[in-house]
Amino acid sequence: MNTHIILTALALALVAGPLGCFVVWRRMAYFGDGLAHSALLGVAVGLVIGISHQIGMMVIAVVFALLLIWLRSKRVLATDTLLGILAHAALSLGVVAMALLGAGEVELHDYLLGSLDQLTPELAAWVIGGAGLSLGLLLRLWPGLILMTTSEELAHAEGVSIMRYEFALMVLMGVVVAAAIQMVGILLITSLLIIPASTARLLARTPEQMAVGGSLIASLAMLIGLPSAQSFDLATGPMIVCVSVALFIIVLVGRLVLRSTAP
Amino acid sequence: MTDLSPPSSERLVTASNLSVIRQKRAILDDVSLNITERDFITLIGPNGAGKTVFLRHLLKLDSPNSGSVTHRADLKIGYVPQRVDIDPGLPISVNRFLTLNNTLADAELEQLANVTKIQHLLDTPLSSLSGGELQRVLLTRALTNKPDLLILDEPAQNLDVNGQLQFYTLIEEIYESRNIAILMVSHDLHLVMSSTRKVVCLYHHICCSGAPESVARDPEFISIFGNDMAKLMAVYPHTHAHDHDHDHGHGHDAEDAS
Repeated sequence: MNTHIILTALALALVAGPLGCFVVWRRMAYFGDGLAHSALLGVAVGLVIGISHQIGMMVIAVVFALLLIWLRSKRVLATDTLLGILAHAALSLGVVAMALLGAGEVELHDYLLGSLDQLTPELAAWVIGGAGLSLGLLLRLWPGLILMTTSEELAHAEGVSIMRYEFALMVLMGVVVAAAIQMVGILLITSLLIIPASTARLLARTPEQMAVGGSLIASLAMLIGLPSAQSFDLATGPMIVCVSVALFIIVLVGRLVLRSTAP
Repeated sequence: MTDLSPPSSERLVTASNLSVIRQKRAILDDVSLNITERDFITLIGPNGAGKTVFLRHLLKLDSPNSGSVTHRADLKIGYVPQRVDIDPGLPISVNRFLTLNNTLADAELEQLANVTKIQHLLDTPLSSLSGGELQRVLLTRALTNKPDLLILDEPAQNLDVNGQLQFYTLIEEIYESRNIAILMVSHDLHLVMSSTRKVVCLYHHICCSGAPESVARDPEFISIFGNDMAKLMAVYPHTHAHDHDHDHGHGHDAEDAS
């Protein structure tokens, strides 16, 4: 396996740990799915106006987040309904647009389930850079984000700008999702965020332990999942997720056994 | 509006002619309130009267359609929200929660924890606290920045009677022992009567305000809260009359509760 693929995988795993914690704590799983679904539209937009797929995805992700925040402030429909409308509209538009632009079944399949075919060293450098920047920003905002997670009202009263933090979190999600889609695929990207974090939750006593644990578990899933996918010639996303779920089950069962045998 | 505070006290918060309109309905209509040093104001009002909206404006979390809120320069406010829901997915100890996003020294934390009686809870996960314990932890957090003003939004709403008594006793102790002003939304007026210096009754506008005994005689108060509440309020101060020289006879509630 090429070095640039391993480095990309580790960079994504590293940021997936802490970011995944917020997806779990703030119940953003559906939002992550929505972002991922909108990514296909981003690819199509990228093709049409001649910018890279990743930039197209990020632009659409930010537009998606802004649209969601704006619609939510109208207080007419519940957030999950709005997400359902936006996500599926974006996915359908994306599929239609890709087909009109002449994309084949294989290309669509690769976007939906992940593949390493398009991951050139140059793209890898972009993904690693994006993941690194996101991780840096996440660490900077960490204390405020944790306070906001315990109580938005309290954080707001103590001078944390909820709007700004929430938007930052959404943009971070957009960047990480766009960066990771090539490898994990649109349909499964959210699981890269929530399964390792949930596994770490079973073992952690502090938010930081959960974040670091999530990164380690995601790294392990990548390091086992990617070579297996490659040697069996399978899509990468499902393989990575299978390994993550296996790790989750092992930890869950291990914890139950330890608890029941404890005096 | 009656202002019972002595004129020499410094003004902490000035809310002038606040009006808030949401979906074409006036939530707050020309509401003014001054909070000065050492005030102990209890804000009462029926559900949907705009109490929480009013607090949010006093905290400057929202901006009104008209009117203004001014804080004294360098004013520090401690805020205890109505409730917080701690997601069990977030592993965080009480200790860590209290030191999030601030620079609280261990010694200060210990001293505060003693006041609010949460020393034994510091290593407990936040999500496993009982209602009363969680409120005491939130109160501790509100005190960490040494506030000049404590704002509490129905802090004892989800507690049982015993828990309410203990919580209000704690608030009174804090009021007595610190140079602090308090603004509290509470329906349990009979429980906070002995400390409350001023009652403000809000129903979109300020219906009446003043000392507890005088408010209880106000016709508008009686029309909103009924005679029973008015009697409860009118009776209580007589048995505890002139209770502003607090030697020790102040803690009836606490002794009864424990």
